[in-house]
Amino acid sequence: MSGPLLDARGLAKSYGARRVLDGVELRVAPGEAVAVVGENGSGKTTLLKLLCGLLRPDAGEIARRGRLGYCPQEPLVFERLSVRENFAYFAAAYGLSRWREAMDELLVRFRFAAHTDALVGDVSGGTRQKLNLALALLPDPELLLLDEPYAGLDWESYLHFWDYAQEARGRGRGLLVVSHFVYDTSAVDRVLELAGGRLC
Amino acid sequence: MLRRLGIAFVLTARELLRRPIVLLLLFLVPAVFVSVILAVTRQTPISFQISAIEEEDYLRVPERAEALVFIGLAAVGVLAAFVALHLAQRDSETMRRLVLCGYRPLELLAARLGVLALTVSGIALLVAMAMALFFRPQSLALMFVGFALLGWVYACYGLLVGTLLRQELEGVLFVALLANLDIGWLQNPIYYAHAQQQVVIRSLPGYLPSQVAMAAAFSEHTAAEILRPALLGFVYGAVLLLLAVLGYARRLRA
Repeated sequence: MSGPLLDARGLAKSYGARRVLDGVELRVAPGEAVAVVGENGSGKTTLLKLLCGLLRPDAGEIARRGRLGYCPQEPLVFERLSVRENFAYFAAAYGLSRWREAMDELLVRFRFAAHTDALVGDVSGGTRQKLNLALALLPDPELLLLDEPYAGLDWESYLHFWDYAQEARGRGRGLLVVSHFVYDTSAVDRVLELAGGRLC
Repeated sequence: MLRRLGIAFVLTARELLRRPIVLLLLFLVPAVFVSVILAVTRQTPISFQISAIEEEDYLRVPERAEALVFIGLAAVGVLAAFVALHLAQRDSETMRRLVLCGYRPLELLAARLGVLALTVSGIALLVAMAMALFFRPQSLALMFVGFALLGWVYACYGLLVGTLLRQELEGVLFVALLANLDIGWLQNPIYYAHAQQQVVIRSLPGYLPSQVAMAAAFSEHTAAEILRPALLGFVYGAVLLLLAVLGYARRLRA
């Protein structure tokens, strides 16, 4: 199937009198990686929440295709469950029956296999972030929406993330990464800046 | 769907069991409440009415036994409401993420309700058995029904509060306020036998379950005679639950 995985047109969102997004246009094609950067409070997280369906836009349209993987900025995981149990919970949500191999691969790739049976509340913030990211990657989704996915990761895991991103692009996956900064702009096809409620 | 429901149920139960403070309170609250009653009451006979079942007759029972049933009800209600509040408020954003990933809100809600029902039944059983250590109720099984019914109504109230209020402190205050007024004060038939004729006391969530438990503990009413107030109490809880379910599903979808 051709056409974009994500097509957002004329997105607007306000909080009270404050207009955060004002006519945002954004497309992500299969195999494409797009980065959105911007200052704190520029509306990056709001944009991502609109795109994944956690918020409703005041105006505009969003069309998505394929399975979605969403990595929120703050780790949204169950702290009183182990890393493995979190994978099990999200695998059930995705409707995956054979997920253990994918879990093992992600645990090794992002180097937190030693914490598989630890309670998430007992592991470091970096490991929690790795889990947060890995839960979005678990079903190998067609479209990945990632909000500061490498915040808190060690350098090696950061590099592994971009390795994963390149492999995913090779499989025709689309990526949208929202971050304060992108060290290596060659890793993405486009870098867009969110300023004044618009992408440029 | 059943597999997903089962996974959500098991993991919700594990999460709850891994909170030591919850387990501690489940034993500590009844133990403290019962100890206080044993310390301050005597075996002096007292009289009171069970107005939901028999308007005319006065029952004459030892003060201590009546106080134990009353405090047992309070313990069940408080614990049920707090566990429900905790389940409704905790991890709500992570639950939304699960919904985004494919869980249906009703599956997650059903799993939480299942865990809550088991927990409340366990609390009611524990408290009913503890009561039986200190006096012999007319019907232990029906007294358990009264305790479980109170747990049901207060669990539904706790869910509703947890759905409407996202902040923990506000939720705790709302639960404590009603529990204190209702099952900690106004439903005591010794002091409020006459007041029980008043609409305000009869309309509180603790009224029907308290009357069922008192009747089961101290009168010879049969299950059939207790059935009507028990059913009405169940419906009372069901209405609260319906409101909570609507609010919870809306929150997960929003």
